[in-house]
Amino acid sequence: MVERNTMTKNARYVHVPDDETKIRMLHFMKLVREIEDRIEKKLYRQGRIVGGVYVGRGQEAISVGTAIHMEKDDVVAPSHRDMGVFLMRGVTPRRIIAQYMGRRTGLTRGRDGNMHMGDMNYNVIAFVSHLGDNVPVAAGVALAFKQRGQKQVALCYNGEGATSRGDWHEGINFASIHKLPVTFFINNNAYAYSTPIELQMAVKDVAVRAAGYGIPGEVVDGNDILAVYDSGKRAIDLARSGGGPSIVEYKTFRMTGHSAHDDAGYVPPELFDEWKRKDPITRFEKALLEEGALTQARLDEMQRECALIVDDAVEWAEQQPYPAAEEVTKDVYYEGT
Amino acid sequence: MVKPSTSDQYTIAVPEGLELDRTGRLELYYFMALNRKLEERLGLLYRQNKVVGGLYSSLGQEACSVGTAYALERGDFLGPMIRNLGSLLVRGVRPTDVMAQYCARAIGPTRGKDLNVHFGWVERGLIAPISVVGALIPVMAGIALEMKMHSKKQVALTYIGDGGMSTTDFHEGMNFAGVHKLPLILIVENNLWAYSTHVSKQANVVDLAVRAESYGCYGEIVDGNNVLAMLDATRRARARCLAGEGPVMLEAKTFRRKGHAEHDDAGYVPSEQRAEWEKKDPIDAYRRFLVERRVVDSAQEIDEIDAKIVAILESAANEALSAPFPDPSIVTENVYG
Repeated sequence: MVERNTMTKNARYVHVPDDETKIRMLHFMKLVREIEDRIEKKLYRQGRIVGGVYVGRGQEAISVGTAIHMEKDDVVAPSHRDMGVFLMRGVTPRRIIAQYMGRRTGLTRGRDGNMHMGDMNYNVIAFVSHLGDNVPVAAGVALAFKQRGQKQVALCYNGEGATSRGDWHEGINFASIHKLPVTFFINNNAYAYSTPIELQMAVKDVAVRAAGYGIPGEVVDGNDILAVYDSGKRAIDLARSGGGPSIVEYKTFRMTGHSAHDDAGYVPPELFDEWKRKDPITRFEKALLEEGALTQARLDEMQRECALIVDDAVEWAEQQPYPAAEEVTKDVYYEGT
Repeated sequence: MVKPSTSDQYTIAVPEGLELDRTGRLELYYFMALNRKLEERLGLLYRQNKVVGGLYSSLGQEACSVGTAYALERGDFLGPMIRNLGSLLVRGVRPTDVMAQYCARAIGPTRGKDLNVHFGWVERGLIAPISVVGALIPVMAGIALEMKMHSKKQVALTYIGDGGMSTTDFHEGMNFAGVHKLPLILIVENNLWAYSTHVSKQANVVDLAVRAESYGCYGEIVDGNNVLAMLDATRRARARCLAGEGPVMLEAKTFRRKGHAEHDDAGYVPSEQRAEWEKKDPIDAYRRFLVERRVVDSAQEIDEIDAKIVAILESAANEALSAPFPDPSIVTENVYG
């Protein structure tokens, strides 16, 4: 059965973060926004980015509010709008910008661009362009955990469009049969490139599909960081305690085009207006200010900090070399560690 | 010889409001018995080394093929799977065609180039099965899309097993059909075994029909050994499709009484499970139904149908086996359109 959990103010959550955690989550959400704004609205337009740009503007609460529950040895398979996952795993903004600029110190050493990156030093599996392909991969990681008797979990992120893919079905079916310690998070941002959800599936909620795999499904307001924090923790705890996989669907909205080149003219402007009012960062800031966990002065300072971090990252990345041509065949096949 | 039903015996429940005259009721028997006896005859030919390649039996599942195919009308399209010989017979394929095909003779539907039931017959609304299980679903969805786009009062029907439901194509095809509300009927033949994999290792749900909801389509569980129930459910599904209500998924609960193919002794199937389902034989039960409900005056009438079938098969075998193998010169013909 699908549970609904949508209201911040009156909701009673099982898991509520302390003030320090709240500030930490706000910092990461703001940092994601700052990095992505800088990349999409400045560096890309200045021709300083190599290749496409995919941002998760408006969706920052999802990756931050879930990945915060990861333990050191957990493994995550993010999608291309989950920058928060990388930051929370400890990947630095410097290396992310270097990746976007095609530099040698980017995560793929300048071989690939944008969010097509991973690093097993941080237990982040590189995003597979073929959406949904990370589902069987994450299930396989979880199978290894189970076979080895390890108390680790795998986290897997996808958009609602990816749920139309066969790999999504096969991976979740496999994970459900074997009760694997993996959690599937869906960023339901209403558009898969230019395809609205009603042309993507005949159901209102992706989470109803959980019933087809005999696993729990839940629909959550993805723009409410506290709801994300709570639901993410419950889903991950379930997987870690041997309860198997679950699907948590976060309702959100893609506040930009599919990519930086896409003006999203196919999205009715009133939808952008509506979702701008539900912005996860301003909502959270307002709540923190109201409850006194944050002052306006501290908030302004956080904003400056984020800007400085990104200034530093851009400056550093631009001094990094491009990969050397003679390295082109390196890292193609496994050469041992 | 038909023995009277005993109280704990499996009996054919007549669906409420089913309209089917005496001829229709006897035709259902004829096709089920023809299905079974043709397969028995093929079993003998297999042991005589006359069959080229594998032999796939639908023993115990005849009601499912016959009841569903019988519900269709001229102009509808049917995409059978390997265990839907009965559906082919209902659509007008002759036993001679089937035997010639199994024995790779030049008069067979594929002129001896392909085997078993791997053939289509577009004039009879039959699409050739695809070995890669599940792949027919998007194909049949495509046919249903054409029917919808041209406002044809027709439906497409295809089958999937409990195992095939774990495939990519099942998910993608049903999702597409659901989104576009296509007139597609999917018969899920849950015969408990996908080769040697029990359904509990294939899906984490007891009733596969619950997955209908994942695609926004109507789902129903049907007694797959009751030919009248299969006929009735398929007719209702057809009516829904024609009313523009979108695809229907019917789960037929049944059992594969032989191995995956003739070479497989199915030693992995518990003998008590087999014994339990033998008692629910769809043809024996239907014979009892015909006598007890006075559809026939005496069992002798049924014996006469059987005798007629034996004669048909005898002459079909003679015709098929006296036909030549294909001439090598035709090998490149019919390869491209």
